Amino acid sequence: MSLPAIAEKDFQDTVRSRGMLILVALFSLLVAVFAYVFAPPGEQFATEFLLSAAVGPFLVTTLVPLVGVVVGYNAVSGERESGSLKLLLSLPHSRADVVFGKVVGRGAALSLAVFSGFLLPALVLLALSQLGYIEAFNIGSYLGYTVFAAVLGVVFVAIAVGCSAAATTQRQALIGGVAIYVLFVMLWGAITGQFLGAAADAGLINPLPVSQQQISVFLQVANPITGVELLSNAFLSGQLFSGEAVNQQISAVSMLVFWTIAPPLAGLWKFDADDL
Amino acid sequence: MTAIELRGVTKEFADVTAVRGLDLTVEEGEVYGFLGPNGAGKSTTIDMVLDLVRPTEGTVRVLDQDATADGVSIRQRTGVLPDGFAVYDRLTGRQHVEFAIRSKEADDDPDALLDRVELLGDADRKAGGYSKGMRQRLALAMALAGDPDLIILDEPSSGLDPAGAKEMREIVRAEADRGATVFFSSHILEQVEAVCDRVGILREGELVAEDSVEGLREAVGGEETLEIAIDGGDADGANDAAVDAVRDLDGVSRVDRDGDALVVSCADGAKTRVIGALEDAGVAVADFHTREASLEDLFLAYTEGDAPGADGGDPDERAGEEPEEVNR
Repeated sequence: MSLPAIAEKDFQDTVRSRGMLILVALFSLLVAVFAYVFAPPGEQFATEFLLSAAVGPFLVTTLVPLVGVVVGYNAVSGERESGSLKLLLSLPHSRADVVFGKVVGRGAALSLAVFSGFLLPALVLLALSQLGYIEAFNIGSYLGYTVFAAVLGVVFVAIAVGCSAAATTQRQALIGGVAIYVLFVMLWGAITGQFLGAAADAGLINPLPVSQQQISVFLQVANPITGVELLSNAFLSGQLFSGEAVNQQISAVSMLVFWTIAPPLAGLWKFDADDL
Repeated sequence: MTAIELRGVTKEFADVTAVRGLDLTVEEGEVYGFLGPNGAGKSTTIDMVLDLVRPTEGTVRVLDQDATADGVSIRQRTGVLPDGFAVYDRLTGRQHVEFAIRSKEADDDPDALLDRVELLGDADRKAGGYSKGMRQRLALAMALAGDPDLIILDEPSSGLDPAGAKEMREIVRAEADRGATVFFSSHILEQVEAVCDRVGILREGELVAEDSVEGLREAVGGEETLEIAIDGGDADGANDAAVDAVRDLDGVSRVDRDGDALVVSCADGAKTRVIGALEDAGVAVADFHTREASLEDLFLAYTEGDAPGADGGDPDERAGEEPEEVNR
């Protein structure tokens, strides 16, 4: 079992890239800007509002997936093109160890970046609330939300690594990475809507024991971005795994697990059969 | 036990057959030199041994295990210096070696391995700043981790200066003395002569010769090269006739004309007859000397196809057919 060795090496390699530093700085800066803009002096400071109304839609759901794709898309194809994959596979690693070790290593590196990026503004906010400049800063909600942001990043790392394993060249991997981002961030609703409409027109929905509305909701939640949004908002309003929407939340969690495992497996299937 | 065993191995890529019907056996404990010009299929063969590339036909067994099915367990006991590899630019030399040790679940001291390849002084530098030769030595240190039973070196001397190449040979010797099997490829015969027990020569994906270096030299056998300076004053017609006369002599395998010089490849005893034939034809021999077939000649004889045992065939048939570069 050499997966941990690869994960650790890849983690070390990734956190040493200059991009990581830029990433942490960018997260910190943006969170700080949102905190400043959305917390007018003298009014009540609402941590939950800051996160669900500002940081969530503007930062987490657009930037985190992008970063996940950027961190993951060259994981395997980059090593394949440079030749370091030869060094890696001359050691006793299976190709499955390589693909999943990369998911773990780069997922951990991205999580570290997200945590550090959110932590710096959190310290400032905490200090301000201690000094009485703002109303109580809810550090629990803030840290919990950070976990959801990191989960979303890891899911996109996994999808991008899977794509990278399947790609023969860096160019293919790059195109795949862009396609992933465009699909999930921009086109998911339109594509699944078209698909569902066509299925309904063809009479494929009526025989099923679920309504078109239910399928539509499921398809929305199947997008990891919507899934994480749903879960994090439930968390912030204290309704995680309780209340009426618990089924939706379970669907969202299952789909996040699916997106973390299935793309790397599919990529491995191709990678394992390739001549390198 | 055999260290490497290929039976009827063929590898076809979309555009070229890199290896065809290759049978190759490397016994445990020997140092085997795998020779051939660039594009002969050496790297493809090694890639199949390492399971980077899967054969189209035939079986590849390494350390008595199947190369594809048992790849991880094989590489647990194998050290590899790959060809055309890259290092991890952002990790230090020591981190590379530590990674190799950890991957092989070995307990080597990273510093001892780095010292052995004379890289200890640069161990804490990032490998991205290493020269080609330093990267080569770093990969060798990684290959030596865990005292492997089989060491595979693909073009190990590339990027090394003469001193580095000598150190490489000493390490190969030391590993062989420890009992390891060493299999290494090269396109330069001199490099293998000093260390190899046995040599195999690959040409266009086929093994054309396999023997000790002395055995190969004997097989090409007593061939000598005569360099003869002839008097340029004669009319061209006379010289051409003389060349034809020499070519017809018994024991002469090849005559090349280069202005006023003739280069004649002939059997040991044919020297006097060559000179005699030239003088009979009315050509004045100004000067001549012989040179023994160098290793390079020997290698070229096998790889260009006019040596005994080099699967015959008309050399003209292959004229202009450059071996294709197979690079994957």
